[in-house]
Amino acid sequence: MHSPELLKGTLQTIILKLLKDHGKMYGYEITQRVRDLSEGRLLVTEGALYPALHKLEAEGFLTTETVSMGKRVRKYYALTAVGRGSARERVEEFVDFFRTMSQVLRVQMN
Amino acid sequence: MKLSAEHIDFIIKDLHRRGLVVESIHEELLDHVCSAVEARMYGGVRFADAYAEVLRTFGQDEGIQQTQTQVIQSENKFKRIMLKNYFTIALRNLRKHSFYTFINVFGLAVGIASCLLIVLYMANELSFDRHHKDADLIFRVESEIKFGANHLMLAVTPGPMAEAFRNDLPEVEAVGRFWNDGTMLVKRVDQNIKETRIIYADSSLFRVFTIPFLEGNPALALRDPFTMVISRSAAEKYFPGESPIGQTLIIENRDAFKVTGIYEDMPVTSHFRYDILLALVSHAYHKDEAWLSNNFSTYLKLRRGSSAAQLESKFTPMIDKYAGPQAKAALGSDFSMEKFRASGNKLEWTLRPITEIHLHSDRIAELSPNSDIAYIYLFGAIALFILAIACINFMNLSTARSANRAKEVGVRKVMGSLRAHLVRQFLTESILLSAFSFLHALAIAWLVLPTFNDLAGMSLNFPWTSGLFWGQLTIAVILVGFLAGLYPAFFLSGFKPVNVLKGNLSLGMRSGLVRSALVVVQFSVSIALIIGTIAVNQQLKFIRNTKIGFNKDQILVIKDAYGLGDQVRAFKTEVLKDSRIVSGTISGFLPVTGTNRSDHTFWPDGVQPTEENMVSLQCWRVDQDYVMTLGMKIREGRDFSLDFPTDSSAVILNESALQLFGITGDPIGQSINTWSGDLNQPDSKNAKKYTIIGVVENFHFESLRQSITPLGMFLSRSIGLVSFRFNAENTEEVINSVRETWEKIAPGMPFSYSFLDQDFEYMYTAEQRVGELFTIFAGLAIIIACLGLFALTAFTAEQRTKEIGIRKVMGATVGSIVFLLSREFGKLIIIAFVIAVPVAWYCISTWLDTYTYRATIGVVIYLLSGGLAFFIAWITMGYQSFRAATTDPVRSLRTE
Repeated sequence: MHSPELLKGTLQTIILKLLKDHGKMYGYEITQRVRDLSEGRLLVTEGALYPALHKLEAEGFLTTETVSMGKRVRKYYALTAVGRGSARERVEEFVDFFRTMSQVLRVQMN
Repeated sequence: MKLSAEHIDFIIKDLHRRGLVVESIHEELLDHVCSAVEARMYGGVRFADAYAEVLRTFGQDEGIQQTQTQVIQSENKFKRIMLKNYFTIALRNLRKHSFYTFINVFGLAVGIASCLLIVLYMANELSFDRHHKDADLIFRVESEIKFGANHLMLAVTPGPMAEAFRNDLPEVEAVGRFWNDGTMLVKRVDQNIKETRIIYADSSLFRVFTIPFLEGNPALALRDPFTMVISRSAAEKYFPGESPIGQTLIIENRDAFKVTGIYEDMPVTSHFRYDILLALVSHAYHKDEAWLSNNFSTYLKLRRGSSAAQLESKFTPMIDKYAGPQAKAALGSDFSMEKFRASGNKLEWTLRPITEIHLHSDRIAELSPNSDIAYIYLFGAIALFILAIACINFMNLSTARSANRAKEVGVRKVMGSLRAHLVRQFLTESILLSAFSFLHALAIAWLVLPTFNDLAGMSLNFPWTSGLFWGQLTIAVILVGFLAGLYPAFFLSGFKPVNVLKGNLSLGMRSGLVRSALVVVQFSVSIALIIGTIAVNQQLKFIRNTKIGFNKDQILVIKDAYGLGDQVRAFKTEVLKDSRIVSGTISGFLPVTGTNRSDHTFWPDGVQPTEENMVSLQCWRVDQDYVMTLGMKIREGRDFSLDFPTDSSAVILNESALQLFGITGDPIGQSINTWSGDLNQPDSKNAKKYTIIGVVENFHFESLRQSITPLGMFLSRSIGLVSFRFNAENTEEVINSVRETWEKIAPGMPFSYSFLDQDFEYMYTAEQRVGELFTIFAGLAIIIACLGLFALTAFTAEQRTKEIGIRKVMGATVGSIVFLLSREFGKLIIIAFVIAVPVAWYCISTWLDTYTYRATIGVVIYLLSGGLAFFIAWITMGYQSFRAATTDPVRSLRTE
């Protein structure tokens, strides 16, 4: 399992990319999706996820939609137009960062 | 497996119990927890175990609460909800206590408006002569002369100095001279206009000063004789709609000057402002070789890198080289500069930075009257005082009302507010208040600016379009808000919630001490200002009523009599035919400043002239009717008379001249000597004798700041002014009659006149302005202070409603209650008085020391000021106290 410290700076990128690929998602779904994609090596905690989601929403990258499910209410998140642009930028930025890191650390990626 | 409704209810309640309370996040986390529990239950785990496991992944209660806090924070960071909240609460609070808000805003606004005006005035004064490029390198050369009893501080220097500097001093980049020949008549064709802003100038001055040219070349301007450059306004005045370049103007009905350049009007913040500059080379005087007469204003620009002090050290050898031989020629062969200096005499040149002239220089022959740095300090201090008084009001009212707001603070703290939040809350409130006040202050200042300009004799404008102005204003808003709100903010936020909510709060007494101290400060300042105002006005009254030694009333002065030329006597005779005119005199010398002055060196007859016995005597050239017309008193001897042809070599001295010459016994018939030749251009080789025929009682001919210096009157022609003593109620008729005569004799010449008593008053305009402004600002200060006191008393009365009710029921009279309420503040005002008196006494003595003739400011004035402050304060408090004391006790007791 990867250290949560490493995850910290990339959480917003992950959220934006996931929403870009899947359309609308709710909180629990995002945690599960990350776990599946990383084959259990990345764990997004609730304490990190929800502040990040609310921040992105306040900044205008995400819109929400609530769906009533009997006694519960489910809140779906989706990208706004701004968010979509930002998702692409951040992924590119991360790939770039990744390349720099491999140079700095002198490791070969396959 | 899907969760049942019971399970969901359980989770809702449990999460609530664990501290998840914020609605927006509660629903979302509930869904999350449910989904996670469901996922685990699909794997065959029991509900209770699955729920426990999910809670563990959250980090139990603590994790849940932390998530909740973080979500709120990440939202707020962006939306700034708290800031908005501070504003809302602040606005509501201000509206709720509108009486106190009004007092605060009004007091602060008036205070700030006064400050704004004063700062505007100060900024204007401090910006003088800074528009020149390299202003820090430009200096004026000044000279100081001291021999025997004479001591002259001059703004002018010898004529050949500039040329000598150019040759001898490599540090000097450029040097040039002005030569002021007073007002001149200027005409294009036939209508003469009297120009006051006209002067002769060297062409090299354009290399010293920055004077932007609109047309023409500054490098070539004023090089040739009979050329001139004129300002934009002069160009519009004399040549409307045409190009003035190459055209000519006639100066003094004599010389035609050709216009070779036009420059932008000199800024108002310049110590010299001329519209016409005449080439100095046109006048023979420009090659004047006399090192002992000082008639030229010399300005120089240093090369960058050399210092003024270094240059000044080279002056003494230059004085010895140039002025030494000429002094020796005049005073005899045993004269030497060493001996001259050794006996305590002085001939010195100094440099004064051009930027200091306006505020620091008060010498003889300034190009224009200067201001004084003391006024800058004085009004700066007043501005600060007024602002401080207004800020103190705010602080006092805020802390006094703390008892009412203590509960609010307690509740806020219990609800989890931190001290920092409360400080922010209170500061927002005070900054908001300060912003309101500034807006009102701007409006007030804008409205009264024209009046202020009239009073101060200035033409100030608000720099509405300047970004810097608004920037500074914003900083000032925050600063004042901060200063006024700082103490209440920290004081109020420091309450312990337990004490506050329990109600055992002893705020009243604790904060009372600070509050009392602040009230004392306010009233000390106010009382000192009142004393100052009375003292200034007392001195002004003293000046007006002092026996000045001549009769200044009912004298009409006709100016620019040069225009009459040789007809001046005919004019006088003609005017005297009018029965309303009692007598008339032709002389450019009058006992008010702004008229001719000329001084020459004399020594008593029968001795050799030495530094000790020479007297610098004011020489006034007058006619036979002078003494009679102006109403001076002859103490001994007689007036000039047509019956004595020898009067052309006679002199009438004033008492102080008599004393300085050391003449004993009967002065009549004794003689004094000066160098021969005309009084204007004495020949230093030979002496000429004047016989004393009379002595006049001392009369004041300069401002009362100066003592009366030696003066002698000589029978000689001086036609600058013609003065008439008239005897009529209707001055308008007299003027018209004289004007008719003038127009008959000198058609086309400008007729201008004044009254001697007005000219006399004019000498004290500066003092009068200071007096008026001082009165106004002192009045404002005490009004603002009383406003604060008014609100404080209102507040105290409100706090003590119940006590007053009980006292009344127990039989207290209205009088005793009013006394009770005003006693406390009364004590404070007495303390303030004790503090204010020595401070005021010191300041007034310092100011009065600048006058030779001064009024005595007696104890009565101090007591009167104290009494006045006490009386005003008492009325303020009395109203509130009386209202409190007369309310029906039943009503005040039933309020519970």
